Amino acid sequence: MPLISGKVVDEQGRPVAGARVFISRSPGPVPDTALMTGEDGSFTLSAPAAGEYEITSATDEQSAKANVDVSGEHHEVELRVK
Amino acid sequence: MQPIEPDAPVTNEPTLSATDSVPPAQRGSEGPDPAGTKPAAEDGAEAVEGYERFSMETMATPGADLGFPESLEGLRDIGEASFGPPPEPPPPGVAEAILGPDDRTKITNTTVYPYRAIASLLIVARDNSAWIGTGWFIGPKTLITAGHCVFIKNSGVPGRDGWVKSIKVIPGRNGATMPFGSAVSTNFKSSTAWTVNGNANHDYGAIVLTTPLGNAVGSFGFGVYSDADLLATTANISGYPGDKPSGTQWFHARKVTSVNPLKVFYDIDTAGGQSGAPVWRVIGNDRIAIAVHAYGGSTANSGTRITAAVHANLVAWKV
Repeated sequence: MPLISGKVVDEQGRPVAGARVFISRSPGPVPDTALMTGEDGSFTLSAPAAGEYEITSATDEQSAKANVDVSGEHHEVELRVK
Repeated sequence: MQPIEPDAPVTNEPTLSATDSVPPAQRGSEGPDPAGTKPAAEDGAEAVEGYERFSMETMATPGADLGFPESLEGLRDIGEASFGPPPEPPPPGVAEAILGPDDRTKITNTTVYPYRAIASLLIVARDNSAWIGTGWFIGPKTLITAGHCVFIKNSGVPGRDGWVKSIKVIPGRNGATMPFGSAVSTNFKSSTAWTVNGNANHDYGAIVLTTPLGNAVGSFGFGVYSDADLLATTANISGYPGDKPSGTQWFHARKVTSVNPLKVFYDIDTAGGQSGAPVWRVIGNDRIAIAVHAYGGSTANSGTRITAAVHANLVAWKV
């Protein structure tokens, strides 16, 4: 199962704990859950199929999106909320 | 080796069994002080403050000159008259859980039925990763949710798969407010097809509490319906999406768009965190679940259909 990992950070690059991270666009159906980042802002999500994904991170005040082209086993992305 | 019965129930606690008879719908309960329950609109959508249901009617009078142009070339979609030009469509094969304009409505009063019978879930998986989801009461101590909220399957992450460690259940949560308190559960149920094979067609499960929180909030009924009946149904969904302020409950309603023997599809807007939400219809004063929301998809979102086998498990799990 391909994975998308990364960190949610603020505009100063500091990790954001407790941000919700989820797949907002995908090549096929995905479970409608959301992961919450740990103290270090990190997350790892499963990408069920190869293709284009959009990952969204949200806190109550800020959000960020990133596109990931899943073609291999592991992909890294940074979500800088603002 | 005996073939696996897909809806054979499985649990991290002692097991129960399922039957195949078509059952009558189980009715829910509005719980104490039902005066706050609002009747649904005629089309079956809940009457949620601030929610406007888009509908189209034909107004042609037979024999009248309706003034249609002779050529359709250059005419725009009527939807633009109300909603403006459509958004850029996603590339082929790209799925979005928000389908078209986002017209979800926040539930401002979560202390009334049925919204208080819907719970925010805080889930801790085996690898200590934290997740959010949604569940709904079917009895004083039992909530229904997606199978992947109680048992993680095929994640690809070392140590994450399997029964989750715990779920904190917060019924009627409204931001930081927990009007009915909360309870933590470590007792979960699901189907064999989900836990053994990761079969998304059987993605449903239950959370069992030791505290009867359902007595304070009421419960949903659940029923098995024909394809024709479901396709004529307005489906309501309310849950706790991660793209909205933390712990707020959001509602949307639309007609069921398609069904197959095991799933119900709808273009109701959802986002990560709404896994497990009830997909329900209104019959008189009863709120009857027809599916368990589970997946965001390309042209429609979907839920696990309440079939006879699913119904039997829900009955067996209900305490």
